[in-house]
Amino acid sequence: MADALVVKDLCKRFGGLRAVQDVSFSVRENETLALIGPNGAGKTTAFNLIMGFHRPDAGSVCAFGREMVGRRPHEVCAHGLARTFQVAKPFGGMTVLDNVMTGAFLRDRSPEAAREKAHEAIDFVGLSSRTNTAARDLTTIDQRRLEMARALATQPRLLLLDEVMAGLNPAEVDQAVALVDKLSSRGLTIVIVEHLMRAIMAVAKHIVVLDHGQKIAEGSPKEIVENPEVIRAYLGSGYAQAPAGAAS
Amino acid sequence: MRLRGWGGIALGIGIAAMAALPLVVRNAFAVDIFIRILLFAFIGTAWNLLGGYAKQLSLGHAAFFGLGAYTSTLLQLDFGISPWIGMAAGGVVGMLASLPIGWLCFRLRGPYFAIATIATAQVLMLIFLKFRDFAWGAEGTTIPNLGNAPLMMQFEGKTPYYYIVLCLLALALAITASVERSRIGYYLVAIGEDEDAAEAIGIDVARVKRNIYMISSFLTALAGTFYTQYIYFIDPQTAFNFSVSIEAALVSIVGGIGTLWGPLIGTMLLETTSALLQSWLGNSIGGVQLTVYSLILMSVILWKPTGIMGYVSELTQRRRSRAKGS
Repeated sequence: MADALVVKDLCKRFGGLRAVQDVSFSVRENETLALIGPNGAGKTTAFNLIMGFHRPDAGSVCAFGREMVGRRPHEVCAHGLARTFQVAKPFGGMTVLDNVMTGAFLRDRSPEAAREKAHEAIDFVGLSSRTNTAARDLTTIDQRRLEMARALATQPRLLLLDEVMAGLNPAEVDQAVALVDKLSSRGLTIVIVEHLMRAIMAVAKHIVVLDHGQKIAEGSPKEIVENPEVIRAYLGSGYAQAPAGAAS
Repeated sequence: MRLRGWGGIALGIGIAAMAALPLVVRNAFAVDIFIRILLFAFIGTAWNLLGGYAKQLSLGHAAFFGLGAYTSTLLQLDFGISPWIGMAAGGVVGMLASLPIGWLCFRLRGPYFAIATIATAQVLMLIFLKFRDFAWGAEGTTIPNLGNAPLMMQFEGKTPYYYIVLCLLALALAITASVERSRIGYYLVAIGEDEDAAEAIGIDVARVKRNIYMISSFLTALAGTFYTQYIYFIDPQTAFNFSVSIEAALVSIVGGIGTLWGPLIGTMLLETTSALLQSWLGNSIGGVQLTVYSLILMSVILWKPTGIMGYVSELTQRRRSRAKGS
């Protein structure tokens, strides 16, 4: 299968802080890749670099065969990359439908067609009962659903999910995991940043671990939980004994 | 906003009433107040496209008002070109001026943007004050009175001016209504809510802001020409007056920013209040009417920041949900 995203030697400094240093990884089409690591490891910065919100100091981001570095976020989105934000950014005063329609307008200029696409995306994430609610009145999980629906409405091929499960209760995490699986089975390539190992084990086939801006490990979930470097930097020694699936 | 059923009928009655107004009210003082209401409703509606929908709080729309006024006056007095053509030319000048101004100011967000726009209008005023050879400097100039000359946008009564500004307002409202329903309308609101999120879903934020600023500036410049023709006088202080910028924002805020009818309703309320206060309190302690006026403004902004239109939609929503509940 072809590579959907190839990140090569990506570097970004903020003053004296090296937020991302020589990070390389690639994601195959229709694969789900997880980016994990402690707070401040550079995961969100990596997202911002990929999507064009920050310009990298060096390195390249190649999506579906095209270089993304130097493009503005809206151009990257038009190329088929969509993201959610760690802190949900709904258009608070708009209804759920209007929020998602705004995303759908990228591919369909007519309000009728955009409305239809928006309804599809809202159904897909399971938010139909909230269609006419103002976005600011939604619960946390529904705001995350809205972020996903709005991103989906732009009809991406690659979806970057930034901690969509943070702050959810266990039952909601299960729903979110099911949703990510559903997106994947629809053919989307997914890059997910997440802290919750239980969720990552459930969705990701491939994991990249960042620490202090550097890639310290990469591999299958099983390889990662057994990697002593990862256990030291991130997972903690509890993981050394516990089997992969049991931790949550 | 769809024009269906009662909404359409109300709109029809409204238009008929506005069109018939000067035929019923023949008092020149009253017609003058109507003209001022329509003029500021027009400027407010133009401002609202940028400031209301996209929440880019410009406090420098006097820049375009002044450029429109000077363009048509210079064309008329130096080249004898009719202000009708001058008005269109002024609109284009205002529109083009919005490009460098926007290029400079849109790097800033929130209050910094507002301050930067104030500065641009002030700089333009200073330019027209200092360079005397170019456009009469600080004294300004009067527009020669040609009597009844419709082709030169001069009329003997006030009624024709009323209809001109009514048409301008109708134009601005029609543009707003079509923007509101289109993709761009959604984009503007999205930008007003969160620029990063808007970019992330593929909106070219810089381009959308630039385009709406151009439309807003074009319309505001038309108002400048109209006003100069109406008062037969121009100088930098009136053309680039800060109060034009303030009024444009204020009527929209009071009426409800980001709504089609907000600026018109806001102007009707504010201008009427101000005129009434003037006639009731104007002869008592000096300046007391301005104090009362400011207090009214402060209370609206403090307690109903969504404006009158926001309050109305809140009420209808409450009634609807109550009807659903019972």
